[in-house]
Amino acid sequence: MSEKIKNWLEVRIGLDELVRTHITEHRVPKNINVFNTLGTVTLVGYLIQVISGIFLLIYYIPHSEHAFRSVQNIMTKVPYGWLFRQMHVVGSNLMITAALLHLVTIFFMGNYKRPRELTWVGGVLMLMITLTFGLSGYLLPWTQLSYWATTVVTSIPTAFPVFGDFITRLLRGGDIVSGITLTRFFALHVAILPPFFLMLIMSHIALIRRIGLSATPFGRSDEEKRPLTEFRKKTHPDGHPYYPYLFQKQLLMVIGYGMVMFAIITFTPTFFFPEEATVPADAFKTPENIRPEWYFLAPYQMLKLIPNKFLGISVQIILIAVFILWPFLDRHQEKNIFKRPVLRSVFIFILISLIILMWWGKR
Amino acid sequence: MKRRSFLKVLLTVFGAASFASFAYPLVRYLAPPGGSAEDKKVVIAKKEIPAGQSRAVLYNDKQVIVINRPGKGFIALSKVCTHLGCLVEYEKDKNALSCPCHAGTYDLEGNVLSGPPPRPLPKIPLKVEGEQIIIG
Amino acid sequence: MKGRVLPLLFFMLMALAPLASGSYREEFEKGFLTKTWSGEQPEVNFCIECHSSDKMKPAFLDIAEQWKASWHAQNGIACHDCHGGDPKDASMSMSPHRGFAGAPNYAEVPEFCGKCHIGILRHYLESGHGKALRAAEAGPNCVTCHGSHNIQKANIEIINEQRCTKCHSYDRAKTMKQALFLTEKKIGELEADLVSLKREGVFVDDETKNLFSTQAEFRALFHSVDVKLIMDRTDEFSNKLSALDGRIKDTFNELRFRRNFSAFILLVFAGMGVTLYLVTKTPRE
Repeated sequence: MSEKIKNWLEVRIGLDELVRTHITEHRVPKNINVFNTLGTVTLVGYLIQVISGIFLLIYYIPHSEHAFRSVQNIMTKVPYGWLFRQMHVVGSNLMITAALLHLVTIFFMGNYKRPRELTWVGGVLMLMITLTFGLSGYLLPWTQLSYWATTVVTSIPTAFPVFGDFITRLLRGGDIVSGITLTRFFALHVAILPPFFLMLIMSHIALIRRIGLSATPFGRSDEEKRPLTEFRKKTHPDGHPYYPYLFQKQLLMVIGYGMVMFAIITFTPTFFFPEEATVPADAFKTPENIRPEWYFLAPYQMLKLIPNKFLGISVQIILIAVFILWPFLDRHQEKNIFKRPVLRSVFIFILISLIILMWWGKR
Repeated sequence: MKRRSFLKVLLTVFGAASFASFAYPLVRYLAPPGGSAEDKKVVIAKKEIPAGQSRAVLYNDKQVIVINRPGKGFIALSKVCTHLGCLVEYEKDKNALSCPCHAGTYDLEGNVLSGPPPRPLPKIPLKVEGEQIIIG
Repeated sequence: MKGRVLPLLFFMLMALAPLASGSYREEFEKGFLTKTWSGEQPEVNFCIECHSSDKMKPAFLDIAEQWKASWHAQNGIACHDCHGGDPKDASMSMSPHRGFAGAPNYAEVPEFCGKCHIGILRHYLESGHGKALRAAEAGPNCVTCHGSHNIQKANIEIINEQRCTKCHSYDRAKTMKQALFLTEKKIGELEADLVSLKREGVFVDDETKNLFSTQAEFRALFHSVDVKLIMDRTDEFSNKLSALDGRIKDTFNELRFRRNFSAFILLVFAGMGVTLYLVTKTPRE
């Protein structure tokens, strides 16, 4: 039976050749490891968000008078509504974590270097979009936490002279966060960001396939002669076949991701729901200790430390520009980070500072 | 060989189990709500509430007060005070609703006149058809 | 070229360190947070200011401290809410034009508290205590049991031998306390249940309001000090509380079901992971 199906497809799309070139004969470097699967894990994380999000969309009402009740309805009356909501909330935090880990490992392995600069740029843009997904989605349940965290984060642009207030008013649709903010954040979250993200992910994957997977530079030294002056797709003729070798690893990591998600949902279901996340928004009552979400804590804390608001936000923008354009700034030939002690130390220093800033911002 | 195929079967079993544990909730989630859980309307005869009087009814497990306002017709409001939840009472001579717990006062449209209540009393949809009042 | 970027980055980060200074944090927070959405500003209250100053006569000096420890203070009920006057304007703080009513005398106390606590006043006036007050200015008024400024949340221990034997024997009060006991205990348990449900992330607004309403009605009823009336109506309250208890138990069961269901999914994933791992370690034929 399956032979007949395969044959049917073979005649119409040339199934055999597709399977050969992309699955069974596609070769990956011998020293590929689990860290190389983080990109796939992030992608699967995104798919979980999309699917759970679409189901939530069926019962959610994006109006300030009904949003909170509709989410309560999903959590208490709709059968298994709690499951999809929990997956969406936990999933959003896990996806951002996976994206950040993916970024750190790519940096560590020097896989942003020529000819992969565009892949890096696309990836950083996707991270920015993911954070915007997080920001816009956070407001939708219309709880005290949503309302006030959004107020704080959307007030950050006011530090910018001339345009700052305008940008804040544009984000909020007015002077304060209100029902107007809710509808535009909803449009952003559901209709504006997904197509951009989709375009970026497709070009990201197309570039990876076109250029080929780079060999991990530790252990065995990369025999590629640098600098590269002409296009050459990177192949690994003596590497492992993608299926089953790398496929297994990806599957295991995805299962691991699912296990972390369900461990949180089972044992600490209120991990992402502090008290203010269970009461409806009240524009007249500011809770104590309002803070943005964890992934915005480090920049927020950094802004708090710099005395001049304008200087603070400019430093942030410069850091983000350096971050996006890093492959163009770091032209060093050496790809192996263990042979570059200065870069390694600065990188670790930045990572630790960000973690400290995040912890500090949490207090 | 035997071990490998056993493991593959086991894998298929687990795969099917995980698929089912999402497919079943999904079907239940999308299925239309069972029965008329929301639509149990309450019907009272008009003559049960003479002008200037009120009646408490239970609609959808919620306490509701129906008032026959002199000159302005019938209105159904939630009886639950928006302050801490005590049940408000109709004060005919004051043309207002008052809460016995902390003296929250509302007018006959549900708007807060004085006291601690933070929000007006929600209105419940009410229709008058012939000799009957239909709430809900 | 390669030497340029890293030192630049390093310098930028190092330069931030001396600029960092804690005192600027308040200015930052003020700038970002005190716009239209700012929370409560510290309120000026001239009543408290005068009544805590050393110019005030000693008899009145304790009042401010007592009030601050009270349940009224915790809920934002201040001096003017009961006594009138304008707390924001020192010259009008005790002016009759702003409704200043002074301190009530013994017989005026129930109507004074009853401005807000209407339901309780109604039952009190019908009670033996209320009648005694009107007939002979005797018997307890609100302050006798609850105090005047350091008023705490009501609880069953307010009914005790020391207090109730001032005018009559303790038997009547004891019977009353016994009649109230079980219902009050149930109310306490349900309150605790709602707190733990809230901690589990459940939004319990409707149930909390329901419980408060039942409790308030029950306690207002007590002020009639009519044991027969209370015993007649205890069933009614008991039923309401049982219904609420049933709903709360259902919610706990639902939470347990959810925990088990997601644990099941977790186990299935774990099984899949382990099996897959073993498959990778089993050599192919």
